[in-house]
Amino acid sequence: MTAFFTEWWSYGFMRNAFLAVLIITPLFGLLGTMIVNNKMAFFSDALGHSALTGIAIGVVLGVTDTTWSMVVFAILFALLLNYIGSKAAASTDTVISVFSSASIAVGLAILSRGGNFSHYSSLLVGDILSITPREILYLLIIFGATMIFWVTGFNRLNAVSLNRTLARSRGIPVRLMELVFAVFIALIVMLSIKWVGILIINALLILPAAGSRNISVNMREYHFFSVLFSLFSGIVGLIISYFTNVATGPMIVILAAVIYFATYIYGRKRVQ
Amino acid sequence: MKHKYLFVAVLLTVLLLAGMGVTRLYVSVETSQKEELKIVTSFYPMYIAVCNVVGEAEGVTVTNLSEPKTGCMHDYQLSPEDMKTLSQADVFVVNGGGIESFLGDVAQQYPNLTIIDACQGMELLGEEEDEGHAGEDAEDEHDHDGANAHVWMSIERYMAQLDNITSGLAQLDDVRGELYRENANSYKARLQALKEEAAELSDTVRGVGIVLFHEAYAYVVEDYGMQVIDILNLDEERQVSAGEVAQLIANIRDNGVTVVLAEELYGKDMGEIIEEATDAKVYYLDTLNRGTYERDSYLRGMEENIRILKEAFAE
Repeated sequence: MTAFFTEWWSYGFMRNAFLAVLIITPLFGLLGTMIVNNKMAFFSDALGHSALTGIAIGVVLGVTDTTWSMVVFAILFALLLNYIGSKAAASTDTVISVFSSASIAVGLAILSRGGNFSHYSSLLVGDILSITPREILYLLIIFGATMIFWVTGFNRLNAVSLNRTLARSRGIPVRLMELVFAVFIALIVMLSIKWVGILIINALLILPAAGSRNISVNMREYHFFSVLFSLFSGIVGLIISYFTNVATGPMIVILAAVIYFATYIYGRKRVQ
Repeated sequence: MKHKYLFVAVLLTVLLLAGMGVTRLYVSVETSQKEELKIVTSFYPMYIAVCNVVGEAEGVTVTNLSEPKTGCMHDYQLSPEDMKTLSQADVFVVNGGGIESFLGDVAQQYPNLTIIDACQGMELLGEEEDEGHAGEDAEDEHDHDGANAHVWMSIERYMAQLDNITSGLAQLDDVRGELYRENANSYKARLQALKEEAAELSDTVRGVGIVLFHEAYAYVVEDYGMQVIDILNLDEERQVSAGEVAQLIANIRDNGVTVVLAEELYGKDMGEIIEEATDAKVYYLDTLNRGTYERDSYLRGMEENIRILKEAFAE
């Protein structure tokens, strides 16, 4: 049975995938807590969908590494979405929906030219073979940056999420905090979307935090369980997917979903 | 308070054990019998070809990377399972010509794996130009070399592929080399019979105008010498625009085309539209890239194709 933990280690692509999971899932857990608190699930979902347009623009411009065009576009997308969301008369979910579907439409229109969309279908479900040492380096950098942001800015971010007016009165730059947070979500989503897949990336951001929220009573527990659930489903999902020959992203999400439902039932019982 | 941590610990442990249980069901007990030669083929036609060359040779296993129903591998994605299969293989037999688009990755990951390219030394037909206009620049991005690599559709070229495979395997395994050659020769004798049958037909159909719904049939046409009026490459995810269809119908009418060759799986809808709008009749040929793992399935498929062609040109 030790084979479960050792056999896959002899393959380079699995080691890369394992490292990537080890770095990225704690980040998903961390950012997820704030996304769930701020009711931004729909926002991060739209961001994931913008990856299609990012890649399409990269292809049109002839960029060799479409990760870059994706990241740049997603940051612009996040900033714009944030800006319009705060200005427009329509409610935020309408604005997000408009942006999300418009960007999918543009992405699909460009990528399906000449009937070639099948080249990109791996983006939808993800492909762990796409993880290269260079990607892991990017992930490490973003991991460091997020940690610094979280340690220095979390209290302020939390204040903003509780009450904007109160936060402003305390001298916290509310708009700036929100924008920086949106940019971090954009970066993390874009750097992991190629192997997680557009269709389910949002689940990875939301499920661990949502599961954690079911059973936590304070911020510390909330963070701890969210990171734990995220890391656990990431690692175990990766290994199971290796042995059972299913796509990795969906397997991770299935585990996270099981955890969510279990904690939901447990949390309800305790309330009663 | 303590209950909560206990609950989480139990939950995660149960999930972990369940996960391990599930994988255990999947992981068949590795029979580590000492095989002397492990051959992996990329997809169906290659698998059938290699099986015929290997025949009953002892100590040789032939594994097909894809499922028998996968069809062509243009957009195939290697799964971790595939990488595992390849890492244990001695030799990887591929069709070549760009069909196995992942071949570069494989060569990079496993520099010691011998790759036999069945198309080696063969000049491929180009992809039809008139349908590339929509995606020229997108095409370049993917180092799609634009060649049509469905060479097994031509009996003559299929025989050349067999030669490539046989000599590649014989070079690697000189103990059984003679056996491989014998097997290949008896298989080729049966293919030769089909080829002669096809040659008879080609006398009557040479130069007749024809429309194709799959680029693979360009190699059929090469065997028989018909004249291709138009080609529309309908495959896995090709979306056709209304303008293209109109153009095609006009072409068929203007040139008095009576025979259209299509693949049943992807060309059926279009075929019905064409039959309704023009006097042409659509015949569905097997592209021989999916089927059952029987050694004679290529022969039988080709025989059936020849029968259909005879019927198509009977009038």
